[in-house]
Amino acid sequence: MKYFLVMAFGLSLFGCTIKEKPLPIFGERNVVGTDTVYHSIAHFEFVDQDSSVVTNETFKDKIYIADFFFTSCRTICPIMKTQMKRVYDTIQNKQDVLLLSHSIDPEYDTVALLHDFAERLGVESKKWHFVTGEKDSIYKIAQTSYFATAMEDKTEPDGFIHSGAFLLIDKYGRIRGKYDGTKEEDVNRLIGDIERLRSN
Amino acid sequence: MLVLKIGLRLQVPGSNLLALSLWLAACSLLFNCTTQDHKQATKFEQYYVQGQVLYLTHCSNCHQKQGAGLGLLYPPLNKSDFMDTRFEEVICLIKNGRQGELFVNGKQYNKPMKGVPSLTELEIAEISTYIYNTWDHHRGIVEVKVVASALATCPD
Repeated sequence: MKYFLVMAFGLSLFGCTIKEKPLPIFGERNVVGTDTVYHSIAHFEFVDQDSSVVTNETFKDKIYIADFFFTSCRTICPIMKTQMKRVYDTIQNKQDVLLLSHSIDPEYDTVALLHDFAERLGVESKKWHFVTGEKDSIYKIAQTSYFATAMEDKTEPDGFIHSGAFLLIDKYGRIRGKYDGTKEEDVNRLIGDIERLRSN
Repeated sequence: MLVLKIGLRLQVPGSNLLALSLWLAACSLLFNCTTQDHKQATKFEQYYVQGQVLYLTHCSNCHQKQGAGLGLLYPPLNKSDFMDTRFEEVICLIKNGRQGELFVNGKQYNKPMKGVPSLTELEIAEISTYIYNTWDHHRGIVEVKVVASALATCPD
């Protein structure tokens, strides 16, 4: 019995150490006085599939996963959307987790088109925001805030190059993980990391 | 020969291949196949395997590896009354794409699909042989000449 208790105690300690290991915080950090200031997502303002304005405030006290895509893309986006739908299915009942997909072809991807897209995918707009806006603002926030590539390139088959990354953002707007949204194993890791982030 | 067939089954799992292997085994054991039958079976296998490679390159991003499609965005191929009843149109849309609404298994889809105009008649025959003999489909080989005549009926 004694041995059992010792073992149980040991295991519980072991359990704690695994649980407490935090996810990394991406990007530059500056020390201001005694505080460390981490890279965080800059201010943004876009419009989603319901014509609602979506800003950083929308994600206040929420964890969210961001990506960049466009609806007419037939290369990596359908795979990304298949994978993001898997993430959606796991977070559907978690009040503190949202999804944010930016269109990098905002001229074509109008609100009406994004609305149709989300509806056909069968997802709720309050849980998964598909946003459009000023092209330059979207490209800028992709590059400078999310460290994701997004730009026009007429030589590409569908006219754009963009990364297939999913970015995990914490409640303070900091990037806590980057995953390849075209790879099932990587998205499984993301699904696990969402839980890790929620529990600490 | 039997060993080779089992190997093939392991490489590309799927009930159709199982059925094919069983059919081939039954054919060679019971009916003592003629050389002609063997040639035809080999041709089918070549089309099927090559068709799968092409399917994974050009089609599966949207229609998925298992042919399940995605929501009401991309229609399924694994079970599709559209494929069953509108063979010529399927051949045409592989090459030329398609716009406008389309009903599959009673559900409405309405996203434009871009075609792949660079595909040759042989490649379309291979893709068609793959999709029409996988999942719920058992059509048999789709010959190049069948593809050619279907393409001749495509709207401009």
